[in-house]
Amino acid sequence: MNDSTQFDAARQARRITEQAVSWYIEQQEPLTERQRVAFLNWLRASPRHVAEYFAVAQMHGDLKAAASLHTLAPDVLAEQAARSNPVVMFPGMENVMREPRVPRKGRARRVAIAFAGVAATVAMAWLGVGHWRAASGRIEQSYVGDAATVRTIDLPDGTLVQLDRGSAIDVHFDGRLRRIEVVRGNALFDVGKDPARPLLVNVGGHVLQDIGTVFDVRRDAGGDTLTVISGRVRVLNAPDASLKGFDIALLGGDAVADLTAGQQISLGTAGVGAKQAAQLAQVTAWLPAEIRFQHETIGNVARRFNAYSSKPLVIENARIAGERISGIFHADNPQAFAAYLATLPDVRVIDEHDRVRIVAASQAETSVAHL
Amino acid sequence: MREKHGAWSALFAEKGATLSKYFLRRVAHRWDAQDLVQEVYLRLLRIEPDDAANIRSPEAYLFTVAANLVKEHAVLRQQQPLGSDELEQVVEQLAAPANPEADMDSRLRQERLGALIDRLSPKCKAVLIMHYRDEMSYREIAERMSISTHMVKKYIVKGLAACRQRMADYE
Repeated sequence: MNDSTQFDAARQARRITEQAVSWYIEQQEPLTERQRVAFLNWLRASPRHVAEYFAVAQMHGDLKAAASLHTLAPDVLAEQAARSNPVVMFPGMENVMREPRVPRKGRARRVAIAFAGVAATVAMAWLGVGHWRAASGRIEQSYVGDAATVRTIDLPDGTLVQLDRGSAIDVHFDGRLRRIEVVRGNALFDVGKDPARPLLVNVGGHVLQDIGTVFDVRRDAGGDTLTVISGRVRVLNAPDASLKGFDIALLGGDAVADLTAGQQISLGTAGVGAKQAAQLAQVTAWLPAEIRFQHETIGNVARRFNAYSSKPLVIENARIAGERISGIFHADNPQAFAAYLATLPDVRVIDEHDRVRIVAASQAETSVAHL
Repeated sequence: MREKHGAWSALFAEKGATLSKYFLRRVAHRWDAQDLVQEVYLRLLRIEPDDAANIRSPEAYLFTVAANLVKEHAVLRQQQPLGSDELEQVVEQLAAPANPEADMDSRLRQERLGALIDRLSPKCKAVLIMHYRDEMSYREIAERMSISTHMVKKYIVKGLAACRQRMADYE
């Protein structure tokens, strides 16, 4: 027997097995007349079919015992399975929801080429790497940015920090407060929700209190700059440069400034400058041009996109938010991601003035019904 | 899965899984397996077209033919007639733990099958374990995994086919 006939034989054996299994599983429901005839004809087509059907039936008898050798809970199994969901980005989909907008200077062409490449070649691999998240608790840790790439830090409270090359932050979390000091460079904070422990970010003599949100802090020779990308941030004067002994009562005190999405101020030793409209594209230019993720929840991926845009993607359905996907998207194009989400079963994308809502299709129908 | 067996012939309704296990073990592993399959097959071919249309459950018919052949075969080999009571005894003997060879055989098969399930894709694995270990319905699994019941069925078929292919390599 030469290689090609061996190959054909193996392929034929596989096809017979698949047919036998399909027929075996079909019997769980009463067959239609047409199915009965087809099944009988299949059995009568070859003794190999009969033998394989018996073999499948026999194996089936062992399945409960064999499956019971596994101890993982259904939730863990479902979680592992969900992690392997691939994202496939379709060419042309980027235009589906695209709004008129100003392309990033000097990057648009490179971006378009990169995007085309991604669209053609996004192929996902399974990795057994679990997305581990500690229970929120105490942390005392310094983080320094990588030399070559922007570093993404996932803090245990759900806060996502992107740290530019050469930048550094110190993180101090305790039961009462979450404090982060920007030592140098450029950091973008996407703040995890923990109403019991306010997040305070210390920049020189100023304290930024987040009110649920994404913001960027830049410390360089030219001074300190705060830019709010979405949500609100309150700026307070700190009693001293360090946050040690910071009194939580101060949080209720007078704010030096309140910033909302798209606003920027400079923070100097002389005080806080005037609020002004920020060029978000410029502020976030240091962030990677691509958003790459593996086995990440849709909720977290949406947050990554939100770092680039003042019009956030809001995943309103917990099931959708928890679904895990892998893929590469261009960071500048949340519309493409939203369009991708719209292709998922039971997902509806609602484009509103100040946000893009992702809801379950069934949920959307319900709310319409209530109107 | 049990309910479909309810449609089997009277013999199968009575002896159910035990007898079929006995028979199927022979089919898969014993010297007479090929002969039995051949004989079952020939009987299937002998069905007249008109009769074929009247077979309410071809699967029950298949297993009934097979079971009757096993019975005839046992009679021939043991040179003694078996009444339904004696047949029951044979079945009980085969099912009882007093048969260490059969036990070892089935435990080994189950362990191999368990290892094969572990090597399936995460989705196939999750669906198979939930269905066969936890006895969850397609609908329950679909909800847990946020996929359609149609996809649950596809993963079951895919997973079983992959397991069966690899089990065949042991035979």
